[in-house]
Amino acid sequence: MALPAKLSPEILYRTCNPQEFNFSTTAELDSTVKATGQERAFEAITFSMGIKQDGFNLFALGPNGTGKQSAIMHFLGNTAPGATVPSDWCYVNNFEKPRHPKALKLPAGKACSLARDMEHLVEALFTVIPAAFSSEEYQAQEKNIRENFQEQQADTIGELEKKAAEEHIALIRTPAGFAFAPEKEGEVVKPEEFMMLKKEERDSIEEKIIALKTAMQSIMAQIPKWQRETQEKIKELNRNIASFTVKPLIAEIRNSYEAIEEVTRYLVTLEADIIENFDQFLEKEADPREQLLGIYPGRFSQKGASFKRYQINVIVDNSITEGAPVVYEDKPACQNLVGDIEHISQMGTLLTDFTLIKRGALHRANGGYLLIDARRLLAEPFAYEALKKALRTRQIRIESLAQLYSLVSTVSLEPEPIPLDLKVILLGERRLYYLLSVYDPDFSELFKVAADFDDELPYDSDGKVSYAHIISSIVNRDNLHHFDRGAVARVVEHGSRLAEDASKLSAHIQSICDLVHESDYYAEAAARAVVQAEDVQHAIDAKTFRSSRIREKIREATLKHSILIETDSEKIGQINGLAIYSPGGQSFGHPGRITARVRLGKGEVIDIEREVEMGGPIHSKGVMILSGFLGARFALDQPLSLSASLVFEQSYSGVEGDSASSAELYALLSAISGAAIHQCFAVTGSVNQFGEVQAIGGVNEKIEGFFDLCKARGLTGKHGVVIPASNVNNLMLRHDVVEAVREGLFSIFPVSNVDEGIEILTDIPAGELDKNGHYPPDTINGMAVARLNEMAEKLKKFISSSSDNNE
Amino acid sequence: MPEQPKFTLIRHIAVALDCSPHSIASLTIAAELAHSMHAELTGIFVEDINLLRMAELPFCHEIRIYTSEPEHIDASQFERSLKLQARSAEESLQRIAGEFMIKHSFRVYRGVVPAEVISASIEADLLVLGRSGRSPTCRKGLGSTARKALAEGKKPLLLIRPGFSAKEWPLLVLYDGSKGSKQALEAALDLTHPGMTLNVLILGETRVESEEMEHQLSETITLPGSIIEYHHLPLKDGKPLMRYIRMADSGLLVLSDRMKISRQAVHELINEIDYPVLLV
Repeated sequence: MALPAKLSPEILYRTCNPQEFNFSTTAELDSTVKATGQERAFEAITFSMGIKQDGFNLFALGPNGTGKQSAIMHFLGNTAPGATVPSDWCYVNNFEKPRHPKALKLPAGKACSLARDMEHLVEALFTVIPAAFSSEEYQAQEKNIRENFQEQQADTIGELEKKAAEEHIALIRTPAGFAFAPEKEGEVVKPEEFMMLKKEERDSIEEKIIALKTAMQSIMAQIPKWQRETQEKIKELNRNIASFTVKPLIAEIRNSYEAIEEVTRYLVTLEADIIENFDQFLEKEADPREQLLGIYPGRFSQKGASFKRYQINVIVDNSITEGAPVVYEDKPACQNLVGDIEHISQMGTLLTDFTLIKRGALHRANGGYLLIDARRLLAEPFAYEALKKALRTRQIRIESLAQLYSLVSTVSLEPEPIPLDLKVILLGERRLYYLLSVYDPDFSELFKVAADFDDELPYDSDGKVSYAHIISSIVNRDNLHHFDRGAVARVVEHGSRLAEDASKLSAHIQSICDLVHESDYYAEAAARAVVQAEDVQHAIDAKTFRSSRIREKIREATLKHSILIETDSEKIGQINGLAIYSPGGQSFGHPGRITARVRLGKGEVIDIEREVEMGGPIHSKGVMILSGFLGARFALDQPLSLSASLVFEQSYSGVEGDSASSAELYALLSAISGAAIHQCFAVTGSVNQFGEVQAIGGVNEKIEGFFDLCKARGLTGKHGVVIPASNVNNLMLRHDVVEAVREGLFSIFPVSNVDEGIEILTDIPAGELDKNGHYPPDTINGMAVARLNEMAEKLKKFISSSSDNNE
Repeated sequence: MPEQPKFTLIRHIAVALDCSPHSIASLTIAAELAHSMHAELTGIFVEDINLLRMAELPFCHEIRIYTSEPEHIDASQFERSLKLQARSAEESLQRIAGEFMIKHSFRVYRGVVPAEVISASIEADLLVLGRSGRSPTCRKGLGSTARKALAEGKKPLLLIRPGFSAKEWPLLVLYDGSKGSKQALEAALDLTHPGMTLNVLILGETRVESEEMEHQLSETITLPGSIIEYHHLPLKDGKPLMRYIRMADSGLLVLSDRMKISRQAVHELINEIDYPVLLV
């Protein structure tokens, strides 16, 4: 079997040739970012924004930092300004039901002018109403009404008094009312004189008094009625005066808003309310009880209350909005989305009114677009539910959360809901989208369009130009040094490394942005006018260095042989695997020793990591696959007579992933066959039951991890790494690795199956079955079969001898 | 009748008190006057004998405004009520007199109210009365005490209603050239403080006579720091004069009942107009 050749240095790193760019620095480029590779997402955005039906809201999914928000903002920046400017909205007092404030819809820019007009009206009313009510005309009319009442009362009583006097009966005014008594010469008859009268006379007087009392009682019964009538007359007079004063002022406002039916309807109710409550515009003396309590509300608070009652609470003001509003809600708490009803504390009591209704992002974005980060939305209590409710009912209903959940028991409002017509764009990771799709039945009804942002761009000329434009836009936006073409090429190469694919570029804009900023910093430090490739390299190296403490510690421990890794001997059942560590976002690779031991047994492979519950499920799966492979290769004719144990030596924190399964298999084959493995190699790659080696992640870091250790110990030319052939496309190795390969100091072998791998590692061919179904004896497989047969014999003997002993 | 004292020489003012709004207004004004004239103030409270007698009659009931059935009158309750009123009146007097730092006394009498008030005020140089007294309903015109004082010619007599102050009121004096009207003018001049306006309504039989009177007055009267305005009205009894006074919103009306218009007409005028009146 022909072994795969070592990889040539050209394959290990895809260089970006600066000469391919037709600019010398990014200053020559415009900042428009071409959406290369995101056509799918843009198609979805265009579709979602264009379709008018309900539920076609958008979920932009993709990893954080891929520029989803910028891309959507850019898209909306082109389309939104051409759209119709949405209406203004405001809340006004509902004079009939103050707990249910009314929502008024006005053409854009009219709400604020109505609010101003109302302020002026109230100010004017504080002048004209007191003037009208202090006029001589009003005073005279009011006095006349009151005097009429008094005259009516006095005349009626006077007549009765006169009638009584004719009968020599006096009408006496007591402290609380009236009484009748017989009189003589203007004085009440003394009781003893009265008793001396004849009985007939006394009876006669008593009868007269009874009759007079009855008459007086009927007069008294009339008095409340007269009072009511007088009060009504005064009220009517007040209404007339107030109406005469108020009507022209309101008519003026009404003329300005004639075309807006809702406003004219409101003005009618407003006029009636002002007329009914005209006295609030009259100056009053402060309540002495309030003064006693140290409160001096006076005229100001009275004015304040009236101002509030007739105030316009402008919720949405689109006077300066161009086209449809585009709102990004950074903190999508429930009250920030649907609005809130605030309270003020007055003498320890929480009070509210329609002026304390606070708008939310839905109000601001109504008629346009609202962007929300899905993770933040879901992290806010009740916010997601509130958003869904608003979208489902197509209206914004402001509810006080505290009230809703009975956390606060105080007066609250139920403002009239405002119709909602907007597109909501949720931005989030793919996982969130899929979780919501599975667990929330409403989600797929309300967010029917998914804009799936790719996290990679093709590594072609379009992709490279896109990168150049992205760099240019970042430089222009943040006022940085421009990049020369070499620097751009280096950023492109780093983009490919981030994508872990030599044919792709990372679409993680945030990482590119960070690299641009950091490169700019080093260019500035080096006093260069433009950023050059070496600045970019400096930035990359510096970033690696900044996060290299743990990596250095591990390497140091390895060099001191605290962590046992051999790189220059041969060992049976021992191999260097490659592990990835990812502390704090920066990942690096490092070799780890994997060992396998065999003994007589029943054919099981014991994964020690799993036994002690330090192995993850994928790792355990990988080990079980090995059992499958071994069984299929060596136990077709007889059961496996061995037990094998596998372990990651010196691992103290668990192992996950199946990328070490090929290394484990090589260690097992070595242990079974007794062939020693060259420790100058490290291995990565997973394996299936047929022995095929499969691709793994983090191949660059793993190779570099082993390379660094070997380099530290001194490269001999024998050192190398065995990787899956399917990972060759992912190679974007560090420059020093590539150079070592070029100089023949380091090798990288791509293998497709374990037979290739074991031969590279042991220099012994794996061996293929001959026509008799046997492996050649000087091959790994042959040696393994021989060993297994030997073990089977031993086992057989052991079993028979132990059964003889038993007999 | 003793010679009318000059107003600034008044040394003893009597005020009738019954705790009604009118009497409180009277007390305040009386105290203001007493303070400005360095006079002594005497509060007079009369326990109405008619009430007490009536309470002892077997069949007497009180008819109240807001109670459907007449209440039987209890004499002891009336007694208590009158005592309480007297105490309240005395407290008001002490409080207001204290505010103005004036010498004061309080006397309680029992009898028919108008007669007792008049007789109790004999020694006083000025009697101050409310236009009407206590009553559950406002009475039209003057109360019985004010009517009695008018009828008995008690002078000078100051009839007060709430809403006026001696320091601020505008003055209107009726002048027709008669001796009585001259006295009224003198009293008005005495009461006019610097900065105040004195309105003189000249009631002449003819226009010429009226203007002549104005000419004479303007020649003889000087009132430094104050303004005197002359107005003219043909000398007629009753309604036109009443209308004029109401229209002018005169404040304190100073007049005499010994003018060319009849005494009865003056009394009717006082009875009708709802302004404070000083009768000299």
